[in-house]
Amino acid sequence: MSGATVNRDLLLEVEQFVYREARMQDEHDYDGWEALWTDDALYWVPANGDAIDPTREMSIIFDNRSRIATRVKQLKTGKRHAQAPPSRTRRVVSNVELLDGAGDGGELVVGANFVLYESRERGVTLWAGRSTYRLRPTGDGLRMAYKKIELVNNDRAIFTLAFLI
Amino acid sequence: MGVGEVVSEFAAVAVSIDHEGNGPRLRIEDLKTGHVGYLDALELETLAWLPEGALHPLLDPSLHRWRKPAPNGGHH
Amino acid sequence: MSTVDATAGWDRLIEHDRVHGSLYTDPAIYEAELERIWYRTWVFVGHVSEVPEPNDYVVKSIGPQPVIMTRDKQGEIHLLLNRCTHRANLVCDAPRGNSSAFRCPYHGWTFSNTGRLLGYPFNSGYDGREAKRELGLGRVARIGIYEGFVFGSFAEEGPTLLEHLGAAREALDRLVALSPSGELDLSAGWLQHKVKANWKMLVENETDGYHPQFVHSSIFSVAQSGIGELYGEESTALSRDLGNGHTENDLRPEFRRIGQPLGWFGTTPDRVPDYVAQLEAAKGVEQARELLIDGSPHVMLFPNLFIAEIQLFVIQPLAVDETVQHVTAVQYKGAPDMNRRMLQQTIGSVGPAGFLLADDSEMYERNQRGVHARSPEWVVLKRGTHRERLDEDGHLVGDATDEVPQRAIWRHYRRLMEAGA
Repeated sequence: MSGATVNRDLLLEVEQFVYREARMQDEHDYDGWEALWTDDALYWVPANGDAIDPTREMSIIFDNRSRIATRVKQLKTGKRHAQAPPSRTRRVVSNVELLDGAGDGGELVVGANFVLYESRERGVTLWAGRSTYRLRPTGDGLRMAYKKIELVNNDRAIFTLAFLI
Repeated sequence: MGVGEVVSEFAAVAVSIDHEGNGPRLRIEDLKTGHVGYLDALELETLAWLPEGALHPLLDPSLHRWRKPAPNGGHH
Repeated sequence: MSTVDATAGWDRLIEHDRVHGSLYTDPAIYEAELERIWYRTWVFVGHVSEVPEPNDYVVKSIGPQPVIMTRDKQGEIHLLLNRCTHRANLVCDAPRGNSSAFRCPYHGWTFSNTGRLLGYPFNSGYDGREAKRELGLGRVARIGIYEGFVFGSFAEEGPTLLEHLGAAREALDRLVALSPSGELDLSAGWLQHKVKANWKMLVENETDGYHPQFVHSSIFSVAQSGIGELYGEESTALSRDLGNGHTENDLRPEFRRIGQPLGWFGTTPDRVPDYVAQLEAAKGVEQARELLIDGSPHVMLFPNLFIAEIQLFVIQPLAVDETVQHVTAVQYKGAPDMNRRMLQQTIGSVGPAGFLLADDSEMYERNQRGVHARSPEWVVLKRGTHRERLDEDGHLVGDATDEVPQRAIWRHYRRLMEAGA
């Protein structure tokens, strides 16, 4: 999609969605975040590269919609020790690009980069990567059908990642 | 006619079948230098039958590639 | 905490039912462990299925030591140190590949995948070729393979791998018996999960039947899992000392009482019909049924291989307070329907974002911070001392939640550390 054809209103809507998701994650608004997903959603954080086959190889997260719900429920028990207390996080999402989809009712493919500071008792951990979203227009605004997070260090040893990425 | 690239962390070559001669041969291009070599069918068959370790002497970097030119200039 | 001088005697630090906190925090003790445990005993390195083809290699480790596991053209497995014999550069950089020879990127020294030095550029700079024989890659002194599990020992002499495995061999047999082909395929890739904690925190936790109901109650409650009850006060499951520091939680008494094939995996045979049919074809209906009721082992092979039913963990110490857990899914060669389920359940459970392991890892790090407290100085491992007993094979067993395994780990640890003194 060349820059000249970008629909500014659409890009603005997409950016606002992506920023809203980031804020909900940073502020541990678990219900709000879960409501952003479609019923057939997929939430994926690959390991050992970005182009692996998640049906045959290990991923860090490979959640279908039901497992997203389990993840949120676990966080909400208050006994998810890796997030009790929750990590303090703030992330900057940038380089938001509409990669595909004209907005005629079909899904939009959106790319963005992020940098994230996580503070826990252990100390500050810096996370960075690229997110690819598939956003589906609904009568109630955009919803996430797919989010893939490519951590820059997904091929190395990483600390616990129990907050919402 | 391209066949493909064979790449490891130690070397990267592109292999293809070359038809410029009177018979086909395997063209091997060292992608790091552009250097090209050829292997014909009989040479390839011989390679397929090589016993374990027979290629090892050829893998010595000093054998052909990284060595002082011979005094008569015969080596490149 | 006050520092206890380790040279004063390991018996001062390790008693029958308590151990001193400095064992987890003292850098000098960690250095001694590397020499007396990690660079001496048998350590799990990898599985033959990670190098399935001739000339395959993978970069692995023994503790902090970088190791290359290769399969040569003849099919033989080698464990080489990833260090050029010239000026110490890492010879292999990629995590895996296929090559009959490795060429160091620094000066081009070239080694066969059996470790032999094949040559170096501009050899006129050396006065002869005879030194080549001494300049092959370093190798792990001994290599042992059991059911495809590749172990290495840096000690030229010592117990054989089979002697080291001892009674724990049976756990590996049980694991492999659940594969219809009799083979495992551990090529799904490894997650690397780092924690700021001493490696022994992890080893002790793997067969600790006391923690699941507390640490994992969040996921047990939302997933309606019955795992918690297996480790309850009423459970007939056992904790067991298998000798040589190997320990297990034997859940078979519970699974046999319930009598449900695949109950241990939280599923039923009709969900994985191809797998069940394959296993029945391979073992016979009756034996297959018994295997499917008994389930997969939950065993910690000292010092670094933990088999958690459908997952395989490798514990790698990097510093006194830093450890990496490598984890992959157990896959049975040729059983795709079962493998899909085991892989997806593993991804959900383990690794940095896993429903289970993220919480275990939080405990490791909290333990590591806590053990620095000045008082009390000791970690208490008394649970079940009044009811531990010998089973019919002569192994010490306790109830599911007892600290029989932890005491067993420390007994073995002390023997190894004293032997090196």
